[in-house]
Amino acid sequence: MKDWQFYALTALGLVLLPFVIHPIGGYPALATQILLLGIGAIGFNLLLGYAGLLSYGQAMFYGVGAYVALLTVSRFFPQVHSIWLGILLAVVFVGVMALLIGMLTVRLYGIYFALLTLAFAQMFFFIVFQWRSLTRGDDGLQGITAPPLTFGPWSLDLTQRLPDLNLGIFGNLHDVTYWYPFSAVVVLGVLAFVRTLTRSQYGEILAAIRENEERSTFVGFDSKSYRIAAFTIAGVLTGLSGALKGLFDTSIAVDSLDVETSGSFVIYAVVGGVKTLFGPLLGTAIIQYLQNVISGNQHFGEAWRLIEGVIFVAVIAFWPKGLLGSIPQPSEFAYQPRFRPSDSLPEAKPMTEGIILETKGLSKFFGAFGANSDIDFKVRAGELRAVIGPNGAGKTTFFNVLSGLRSASAGTIYFKGRDITRMPGPQRVASGIAKAFQTASIYPDESVFENVRLAALARVQGMFAPEFLRRSGRLQQVDDIAHDALEQLDLSNVATTRAGSLSHGDKKRLDIAVALATQPELLLLDEPVAGMSIDEIHKTDRLIRALAKRMTVLIIEHDMDLVMGISDSITVLHQGKVLAEGTPAEIRANRLVQEAYLGGHVADAVPSSAPPAAPHTEANP
Amino acid sequence: MSQLPGTLLDGLIRGLAYVGIALGLTIVFGMLRLVNFAHGAFYMIGAYVGLVVTEHLGLPLGLIAAPIAVAIFAVILDFALLRRFYDRNPTAQILITFGIAIVVQESLRLIFTGTTRSYAIPFWLKSSFNLGFTQYPTYRMIFALGIVVLIFAVWFFIERTNYGLIVRAGIRDRTMVQLLGGNVRQASTVIFALGGAIAGLVGAGASPIYNVDPNTGFYFLVPSFVVIVIGGLGSFWGAVAGGLLVGELQSLTTLISAPASDIVIYVAMAIVLMVRPSGLFGESELIRG
Repeated sequence: MKDWQFYALTALGLVLLPFVIHPIGGYPALATQILLLGIGAIGFNLLLGYAGLLSYGQAMFYGVGAYVALLTVSRFFPQVHSIWLGILLAVVFVGVMALLIGMLTVRLYGIYFALLTLAFAQMFFFIVFQWRSLTRGDDGLQGITAPPLTFGPWSLDLTQRLPDLNLGIFGNLHDVTYWYPFSAVVVLGVLAFVRTLTRSQYGEILAAIRENEERSTFVGFDSKSYRIAAFTIAGVLTGLSGALKGLFDTSIAVDSLDVETSGSFVIYAVVGGVKTLFGPLLGTAIIQYLQNVISGNQHFGEAWRLIEGVIFVAVIAFWPKGLLGSIPQPSEFAYQPRFRPSDSLPEAKPMTEGIILETKGLSKFFGAFGANSDIDFKVRAGELRAVIGPNGAGKTTFFNVLSGLRSASAGTIYFKGRDITRMPGPQRVASGIAKAFQTASIYPDESVFENVRLAALARVQGMFAPEFLRRSGRLQQVDDIAHDALEQLDLSNVATTRAGSLSHGDKKRLDIAVALATQPELLLLDEPVAGMSIDEIHKTDRLIRALAKRMTVLIIEHDMDLVMGISDSITVLHQGKVLAEGTPAEIRANRLVQEAYLGGHVADAVPSSAPPAAPHTEANP
Repeated sequence: MSQLPGTLLDGLIRGLAYVGIALGLTIVFGMLRLVNFAHGAFYMIGAYVGLVVTEHLGLPLGLIAAPIAVAIFAVILDFALLRRFYDRNPTAQILITFGIAIVVQESLRLIFTGTTRSYAIPFWLKSSFNLGFTQYPTYRMIFALGIVVLIFAVWFFIERTNYGLIVRAGIRDRTMVQLLGGNVRQASTVIFALGGAIAGLVGAGASPIYNVDPNTGFYFLVPSFVVIVIGGLGSFWGAVAGGLLVGELQSLTTLISAPASDIVIYVAMAIVLMVRPSGLFGESELIRG
């Protein structure tokens, strides 16, 4: 949808809403109520739909927003005759609150996140309930007249009615107060903001983090910051919803902070459709309208909450994407990258001289089990080093500790002479360590090009870039790095294919290309050819040799032909310790290594020139 | 300080009730990896079935009917709806079970109205028992003993029976158990029904103490989640320790400020989640939902 179409259609819908619901039993105040609650639902959708976080505590932002707005206009600044101050203070207060709570909660997932947000909401409920001198506790705040809407010298009482104009079955314009047009303008602004946000570079990265957080972290995005930002923005929108609703109702009850309110935002967004722009608003409209019609009915009035529950369960069970989300959306997959070979590709960084990576006494324990113990390890810049060893030798753990996926239990890691032992993963990527995973870790629902482009974006934009409004996909430098990475791994011909539908071998090479697009100086490859066909292995062999000319490569591999053929040197791990180190020829001749692989029985029948037997398809969980 | 022994005992009883509910929650999560927000609804169905049966046939039959009714309901729910959600992400599971909880709660409200109902229990159970240092209601003592027996029965089932072996293996690796010929699907249904039955039994057993209204399920559900989060999701003895801890914490807080007892458990949970997200007895690898 083009921008002008979006604005025109949305504005038209908003103008018509209070009148189209008239013949089916709605009334103008209901339309206002739908819009104001809808703002909170839109904010919640940002969390659940776009960030993948199910919060059961939105009521705290809604309720606190309302209390702050009403207290501002009635107690703190009653002399200010403008509605703006109340709204502004509410939004700022809730924004700070959401930022702080977000910092404490976003590192948790699923049930833990839901329960922790619920816990915070209950605490705020308690504070509001107990702080009687300010909030009047159980009685809530009532009868607070909202000050007028002002623009400079001009001011307007929002409770005033529009001019008399009979619209037949659609009611009368006179039934509508100025609250409605005001709410409609705010909602239009909120929708435009959220639409821009979800299409911005920030929105794109947030979606990538939701799709594959591990990969996002190891292309160098600080996923926590992205989620905190989403949590804060969602909180602010929910706070705005509460502030406006409170001013509109001229009252707020302490119940507005309870679990039922949090749950209602969940219901609105899920019924209408998360991950859609208008879904939450539609869900709010449907539920609010039905509640109004049904709970007023003398026969089934009491059953309203039951009916709401049944609707909710039915939607989740039969239309898990919600009502709007179930309508097939035009795929945005047609994105054709503009590729023009350009000179904007950054110069390859000069290789660090001497030792690029060193570990001293590096150990990793899982409980009492030492997966890595006391590993001293040095790699020269430009080297292609293989790390081999029988299954369970601790190779993958070693890589995980190097990349920052797991923290070291003891010992030190130096990268380019700097101690990086305590450095978080994304920062290590930024400083030049990239990793391809044993099981290809990619964004399955994005195109191949988009996969590498995200990694290049992390390289160019850094760990966190608050680009909330600017659309991405316009950075030539990012595109160039991405194309270069695809070229290196011979994937350019599938650039527009959906990554999830690639063959196994292509997925593994895409994973390497993603790592490569972060422009590393040290590349960690965990079993790059595992499960590949012979042809693919030969191809990947060539590609890795080419990569090794540009950077230092560490490779874990069970394919001994490959290892012996490409490595400058080899480190053998056995039971978490370094067993041997040397050139391929030395390792091949080493009796200790043969024993480790053959289980202690050194058969004289194994000619010293033959590589130790190790099947290609060996898995290493 | 004269209140202290009674308060500690109240905390113990309340804690044991939480343990009873949390047991079902934790074995269902452990085996099925299902986050069940409808578990409080099981408690409530048990409480209301127990209420009706007790009124007509007496408490012993009420205590038998409640778990059976809930187990049947759980099996129907499992077949009709929840199976499809076993392999979905926790968010989808929370949403569907949250919806089911609303439907059950509101159905019960329509049938039994919103008023608080109390059980008709024999007079001798209402009397008090002299413990030497304090007088304590007889029924509460019996309830406590019953929960302790229940805890060990569930423990025996999981640790000492062949069926329990499948369950424990299934917790570790569902696919492997299936490959070895274990009927994980059937075991899942049995565990879900068992978890529900325990909640139903505790619901009927606890209601003579705490009474029942349509919101009771939620009031017990959230503390039970707090219990298993503090104890460590999926950890059996973690749930037991967490339950007693939460019960005592709530009870002791009433000595200082009665309203604060509602909130203290949330504060405790928030601290545990922020300091040690895997819970006091949990395995750290489980925290990523």
